[in-house]
Amino acid sequence: MIGSHSGFPDRQALNGLVLALLAAWLLAAFSGSLGLSPRLLLGDWPTPLDWQVWWQLRLPRLLLATLVGAMLAGSGAAMQGLFRNPLADPSLLGLASGAGLAVALWIVLFDASGPLGLYGQFAAGFLGALAVCLVVFRLGRGGPGQEALFTLLLAGLAINTLAGAFGGLLAFVASDEQLRQLSLWGMGSLAHALWPAALGALLCIPPALWWLCRCARGLDLLQLGELTAHGAGLDAPALKRRVVLATTLGVGVCVALAGIIGFLGLLVPHCLRLWLGPGHRLLLPASMLGGALLLLVADTLARTLASPAEIPVGLLTSLLGGPYFLWLLMQRRRSC
Amino acid sequence: MLTLEGAGFTTVPSLAPLSDALAPGELVAIVGPNGAGKSTLLGLLSGFRPPEQGRVCLDARSLADWLPEALARRRALVAQQVRPSFDWTVRELVALGSEAGPAQVAESLAELDLTALAERTLTGLSGGEAQRCMVARALCQLDGGDPGSLLLLDEPTSALDIGQQQRLMRLLRRLADQRGLAVVCVLHDLNLAARYAHRVWLMQQGRRIAAGPPGEVLGAGRLAHVFGAELHEARVADGEPPALVLAR
Repeated sequence: MIGSHSGFPDRQALNGLVLALLAAWLLAAFSGSLGLSPRLLLGDWPTPLDWQVWWQLRLPRLLLATLVGAMLAGSGAAMQGLFRNPLADPSLLGLASGAGLAVALWIVLFDASGPLGLYGQFAAGFLGALAVCLVVFRLGRGGPGQEALFTLLLAGLAINTLAGAFGGLLAFVASDEQLRQLSLWGMGSLAHALWPAALGALLCIPPALWWLCRCARGLDLLQLGELTAHGAGLDAPALKRRVVLATTLGVGVCVALAGIIGFLGLLVPHCLRLWLGPGHRLLLPASMLGGALLLLVADTLARTLASPAEIPVGLLTSLLGGPYFLWLLMQRRRSC
Repeated sequence: MLTLEGAGFTTVPSLAPLSDALAPGELVAIVGPNGAGKSTLLGLLSGFRPPEQGRVCLDARSLADWLPEALARRRALVAQQVRPSFDWTVRELVALGSEAGPAQVAESLAELDLTALAERTLTGLSGGEAQRCMVARALCQLDGGDPGSLLLLDEPTSALDIGQQQRLMRLLRRLADQRGLAVVCVLHDLNLAARYAHRVWLMQQGRRIAAGPPGEVLGAGRLAHVFGAELHEARVADGEPPALVLAR
């Protein structure tokens, strides 16, 4: 890329993020309620219980945190490019709550236990996110103008409110067991990550991430407006279809697995854009790495801050993201 | 060469069928009142909106049959008053959508007097500077412009001061005369069209009502009727089309 914003070579930025992610993995792998020091795992042979905890609980959880973080932040970057708007984010636009409502419906209406139930949740999440995305997309067409922005945010607000209301209704009619399942899932937590969930995520999320990275050049061109982008060789409708499918699949699966983890898709791409510039060829992979890093760190904090109890990680990201979003709105107001 | 073979739109915004050819080295100005169909015509020429009747061909091949990437190397477009989203630097923006190397980017920047602004971000630029960036980007996309390449511009001078207007129109004329580009430019300023274009197409209500050299098309009487404005002609120099002045 010619002249990135920081004057920082692209590869160096990505390498730095990869190194930070590896460090966070090491930190996360050996912290938690059950202290598993590196010496225990590498030097002294671990006890069967240590090994069981590490293999069956911690490893799938780390994997899931990495994939979900990468997907949420990557889809935030892609949606911001698609809507040509820095405030587009899967949770603000209602995609996550649309997926959430569909997953809740699945849990209440069908038997959601076992691997089949889990993959049914994936499908429900995908379809819920897709339906919301199509509605929002129709409303938000028209570029980066203030009017389109307000329409987008209001549409997101309406969908979030509606999904909340229907979610409440579902909770009202759910059985005790379903209610327990709903509330555990709805808090936005990775606490129930086991191998079936991690394998499902491994199956769905990396292809979606790869697909989004392939859209980088098209997303760059789209920033010129559809007419100019067409003149530069972009098939805009095809690009939109690809981005919408990849983000809704990814976000739907993330919500099905971990509930609603807010603001990651807003926070990470926005910070990285300030550092690395708006080019998606760099921004998309950097956001994915940054999102994975942030969720991994947030999840480690969620596991350890109140140990042996756990804080839902969605709560932590919202505590971080909410004030940041307000600050962002104030900055925009000032610049207008 | 770009050819129009009875090409037009039947649905709104409609455009009456049009047949003509744009030869390499030709600068055509499209003029007409608001809502006359100038931008619609540019959409037809660029292939953004495929014709609902007739054909638009580049080098005897319908625009729809070109691969988008191959077409992008032969045809570039500068849309009306585009403000790209996000804060690109001028250099990043000019390089967007092209396979040109740093040398070509630098050349395009220099052609539009943007070298000094290359590392500035778009937020810090005036409307006119941003407009020049978009023109530089289109030039870069054409990689300098092989003869017969097509450059389409929708009101490229609308935010420029008169000095920049003159420099841009001189550049467009030079691109046509010296590099053999076919340049099509929607203009509101009839005097710019008269001064720099080889041919002028006059549009009214979705129809081209006149086409030819500026001296033939831009008569004060016809324009007064088309635009509903009272105009005077002021002689400038022998052999040059007269300047058009609004009556007080």
